[in-house]
Amino acid sequence: MSDIAPSARDFRTVTDEIVDISLDYPDRRAWWMCFIPALLLLLSFLVSVTVLFWYGVGVWGNNIPMGWALAISNYIFFLGIGHAGTLISALLLLLVQHWRNSLNRFAEAMTLFAVICGALYPLVHLGRPWLFYWMAPYPNTMTVWPQFKSPLTWDFFAVLTYLIVSILFWYIGIVPDLASARDRATRRRYQVFFGLFALGWRGSARHWARWRQSYRLTAAIAVPLVVSVHSEISMLLAAGPIAGWNSTVFPPYFVAGAAFSGFAVVSMIAVVLRHALGLRNLVTSRHLDLLAKLTLLCGMMTAYGYWAETFDTLYGNDPQELETMRDRLVGVYAWSYWGAVFLNFVPLQLLWWHRVRVNPALLFLIGLSCVIGMWMERYMLLVTTLYRDWLVSSWQRYHPSIWDWSLFAGMLGVFFTLFLLFVRFLPVISAFEIKEAMFEEKQERKETGRA
Amino acid sequence: MEREQARPPSFNRRSLLQAMAASLALAGANGRRAEADERALPYVNAPEYVVPGKPKWYATSVRFAGYLQPVLGKSVAGRPVKLEGNDRHPATGGATDLFMQAALLGLYDPERSQVPLHLGQPATWAAFDTDVFRRTSEIDRAQGQGFRLLTGAVSSPTLLRQIADLQKRWARMRWHVAEPINEHERLEATRRVFGRPLQMLPDFSAPAAVVSLDDDFLGPGPRQAMQARAWSKRQPRLFVAEPTPSATGTRAGERLVVPSARLQMLAQAIARGVGVGEVDAPDLSPLEKKWVDASLGALGAGNGLVTVGAHYHWALHALVLLINERLGAFGTALRFTDPILAAPPDGADSLAVLVDDMKAGRVTTLLILEAEPLQATPAALDFRSALDKVAFSVHGGLYADATANACHWHVPVQHELESWSDGRAPDGTAAIVQPLIRPFLNVRSPHVVLDRWMDGNASDHDLVQASWRTGWTEALLAGFVADSAPAAVTPAVANRTVSLPEAPSSDGLVVEVRPDATLWDGRYAHNSWLQETPKPLIQATWGNVILVSPALARARGIENGDELSLRFGNRELLGAAWIMPGQEPHTLTIGLPDAFAFLDSWRQAGVRLEKTGKSRLIASTQPIQDMAEFDYVRTVESGEEAATRRKDDVSFYPQRKWDSPSWGMSIDLDRCIGCNACSVACMAENNVPVVGAELVAHGRQMHWLRIDHYTEGETDAPRHHFQPVPCMHCEQAPCEMGCPVNAAVHSPDGLNLQVYNRCIGTRTCSAYCPYKVRRFNWFEYTGHDPDSIRAMRNPDVTVRSRGVMEKCTYCIQRISGARIAAKIAGRPIHDGEVVTACQQACPTEAIVFGDITDPDSAVSERKASPRNYSLIEEANTRPRTTYLARVRK
Repeated sequence: MSDIAPSARDFRTVTDEIVDISLDYPDRRAWWMCFIPALLLLLSFLVSVTVLFWYGVGVWGNNIPMGWALAISNYIFFLGIGHAGTLISALLLLLVQHWRNSLNRFAEAMTLFAVICGALYPLVHLGRPWLFYWMAPYPNTMTVWPQFKSPLTWDFFAVLTYLIVSILFWYIGIVPDLASARDRATRRRYQVFFGLFALGWRGSARHWARWRQSYRLTAAIAVPLVVSVHSEISMLLAAGPIAGWNSTVFPPYFVAGAAFSGFAVVSMIAVVLRHALGLRNLVTSRHLDLLAKLTLLCGMMTAYGYWAETFDTLYGNDPQELETMRDRLVGVYAWSYWGAVFLNFVPLQLLWWHRVRVNPALLFLIGLSCVIGMWMERYMLLVTTLYRDWLVSSWQRYHPSIWDWSLFAGMLGVFFTLFLLFVRFLPVISAFEIKEAMFEEKQERKETGRA
Repeated sequence: MEREQARPPSFNRRSLLQAMAASLALAGANGRRAEADERALPYVNAPEYVVPGKPKWYATSVRFAGYLQPVLGKSVAGRPVKLEGNDRHPATGGATDLFMQAALLGLYDPERSQVPLHLGQPATWAAFDTDVFRRTSEIDRAQGQGFRLLTGAVSSPTLLRQIADLQKRWARMRWHVAEPINEHERLEATRRVFGRPLQMLPDFSAPAAVVSLDDDFLGPGPRQAMQARAWSKRQPRLFVAEPTPSATGTRAGERLVVPSARLQMLAQAIARGVGVGEVDAPDLSPLEKKWVDASLGALGAGNGLVTVGAHYHWALHALVLLINERLGAFGTALRFTDPILAAPPDGADSLAVLVDDMKAGRVTTLLILEAEPLQATPAALDFRSALDKVAFSVHGGLYADATANACHWHVPVQHELESWSDGRAPDGTAAIVQPLIRPFLNVRSPHVVLDRWMDGNASDHDLVQASWRTGWTEALLAGFVADSAPAAVTPAVANRTVSLPEAPSSDGLVVEVRPDATLWDGRYAHNSWLQETPKPLIQATWGNVILVSPALARARGIENGDELSLRFGNRELLGAAWIMPGQEPHTLTIGLPDAFAFLDSWRQAGVRLEKTGKSRLIASTQPIQDMAEFDYVRTVESGEEAATRRKDDVSFYPQRKWDSPSWGMSIDLDRCIGCNACSVACMAENNVPVVGAELVAHGRQMHWLRIDHYTEGETDAPRHHFQPVPCMHCEQAPCEMGCPVNAAVHSPDGLNLQVYNRCIGTRTCSAYCPYKVRRFNWFEYTGHDPDSIRAMRNPDVTVRSRGVMEKCTYCIQRISGARIAAKIAGRPIHDGEVVTACQQACPTEAIVFGDITDPDSAVSERKASPRNYSLIEEANTRPRTTYLARVRK
């Protein structure tokens, strides 16, 4: 356990190291070099959405039968990567795994921004996006409620709940560190900014007691959401009577895949942040090792999902299902299937070796491979299923248009912009939780010493 | 003044009221002239008989290739909004074709010519009249020398009377006819065999067996509605030999794929077989022999008929006439009358003579009325340069197109739906065309154009009425003049010697030219409904393709969409390749509008084919047509069960009990000839927008009712199937489960409803729909429509805007209409009271609609048939639209 706790000298330097990043960012030039491209991508988002709203969904490549395509696959992709953050911060909190304390803040931030990106997709995807609120149950003159049998209605509630809980959990977790930043800020506008959001935190025992209650309670709510939200999202596909979707393997398959892609993203962020912000003593190679193991675990579960799906299809021997499998394996979009299989599972096997797991560059590359692989998988699930469904007569090809891609790039811009702002202005690592871990480790050492 | 004339049309309250006033005057159909008060006044006292929202129906006709197609026109608030078949008409009995359905759009087409053009510049009718007056005095001096009239085929007694008047006044003027698709060879054959030209009127309801030598009698054309309706009554055993698949070929029990050059050998073999004397014994391949033997077997059972495609040489027709005589078909399956279309003085050479005279400078004044010789004649004729030699040329037509631009004057003429005229249906029954609306453009009836030419001053109404001194009112009410068809004659064969010409050359590749299934000879190229209608066997829209056989495609490495270059002489035709299963290996097929620029005959051997290496986008609604291992279209032995699942559907849930009425539909796949009349009728009835080639190629066509085409079996000689697919109105509809905002819901009378107002466009319904019948408004398709298109819309059907899903409603507006009528009368809705637009349009009565809870309804009877089955019943959606399987014949 020794190298899990950060190797910082004392409690004060931990806070300094973390909070000073917000108050006086170390390498501004590098930050701007990242932020300007992110802003350009954000501009692409704004332009794409404007064009989309002005002309209609027709600017995309969708058609009949491909009524759902890139937007929905990206929606599933973004929500999926979000889940790892919740798993790391909430599940490991409840399991009292202190090593998570170096990772949870930015993992949660990643969750939050990914959920925002994910949730934007179904909204802009609507034919009449200005009426999106009709999904919500509210008293209206039409006296119509949402149709509760629809997976989309479940989806609306699931994503909304997940977004709210993610915001709450992240915000509750950051309050003590905001107070530290407030206390250390010298410039007025930082004092006001952190002061407002620190909610008058003074660090009294009562504050800590209340904080602990609410934080653990929110964590307890968040953990089952990981499973339920992504199970629900799988219903979006599994509830439709379309061969290739209509399968009971989908909920666990989706949850495993979501966690898999999420851990891959967290690994990548951890590698980048510890390098860029000089946090090697807070995010240690032991952390990378653990993240890599989790990625490997979820990856193998996802691989099992693939296998189970194929087995089911062959065992079921349904002509429509077989046709869909054929389309996936050898159809025109076979690249998305084989791309997913290869990128997800082949480089992943390197993680069986400890030396690879603790090698930041290799871990980053493997993580990237998994993320691209999982994106391909989402794409494959949508496209290879719909482009050839029941009737040969409705078979069509699908080509995402330039506006599909520009919106995807733009959505990455939303993610990176938010994340870079977070890195720039907020404590990226939970200082007080690290100190807690250090303190407990010290106690432990004392006790062992005494014994 | 000119400026005023050139103004585009717009529907404001004033013009609408004028239109209403016009229809009011027509309402009585009492023989008075439809003279509307030109002043627009608001109603102080509402006029009698005008109930807002209540449509009026008028019997009239639309013209197609010289013939009249009887229709009932629905008019709402003075605007015609839908044409339906006239069910009392002796020829069609209510059957329609797609051209008839699409004529409505022709009336409102915003591209229609709106003002006279002089040398391409907007001008006035007054200027035109002055110019013509100057011209006619010259013609007077020359007694008509140099004055020519060119029209399309004519069956109108009024027009013929006017032409006679012209000739009376100017003895030396001449009349010519340009009609690229015609029956000259058939008339020539009757002239040779019987001594005088006679119209052949086959009655396909009479024979027990029909042998068609590449005669697409169920395919597009002015006789389609009539012949398909007759055929569907009995569905005789059908033997077809053809080089390229046709609608008729798809219905054949035995279809033989042969080069067209072999048809006369087949005819000879049949002739010998039935005992027509003095016929050479041809060499037949085993396949041909088998087909001929089978055909002879069926013909030998009595009551048979043999037909040949209209464009084949007269000698072949003559031989087949002799065969039919031996078969005893004369008077029953094959009747004869005097020709229905008036023959111009030079007969089949009419156009060629005109062009020769033009080139020789013998034509000084040319009046072209409703003919488009520039587009619709072979380029070899070189009408364009001949036209330049004419000192004064006038074109009267609906569109200011190529011919109009090449003439000195273009004058816009009235559409049939806004004018008085007359003519004859394909069976010869005469009818009077009455307007459903007062012209809203600055246009004249062709009759009036001719009348002014002769210094007359009569209205089109008076001109037409002068031809029908008696029975005017009855004819207007019925939509036809009773018993006016020319009497059948029983001709005696005068000449039994038929010498068939040398078999045409079959060197290399042979190009066959066929009428375009949706554009005919190109005259409907302006009609966007027809442009967007997929050509039945190809499923391509907006432009034609070059059909290539699978064998040739394999040999030359051709794939669908490859750009092909056809060369013959120094002419070249570029087009996209389409591999057509069932195409004769060395035959290429091109559609007519394309062919005009390339060939001057219906068949050409020795054509060179090359791939250009480029590829072309084919706006196809169905890229893949091979049915593979699936059973969407089922074929059963007579009496065999088509459904594979048990009838008593096992379900965990209790069966829902449906109250009466509960609607359902049955579609007989044996009857469907893929003509698309239903699909176009649906577009007209339900305000379905047109999206254009690019979006169709993208998979975004909006047709609520599509006709799927499948091939089954080996690609060289497959079976072709058509399958109309409207919404299935599933009892367990996945779309309803998927919609989060209750836009897809089920009605108590069994309809799967789409509530446009609630739809926010999640497209879940479409993703979940196993039949993919739902259509999405990807863009704003309707909001930018011109005023005239808005005026055409059916006011009973919501116009959908951007972002909502739409689909077939089973014509819910018609159901509502019937329900309201029944409620007022305090009675249940009778069977047959609700007729959907597609059902009404269908020439073969393949579609039946009604209450499925009533065991005696027509639809219940259909569904009780052992042939009844559900499309992809394994999806367990319990569709209300079911199919009758094809029967193996």
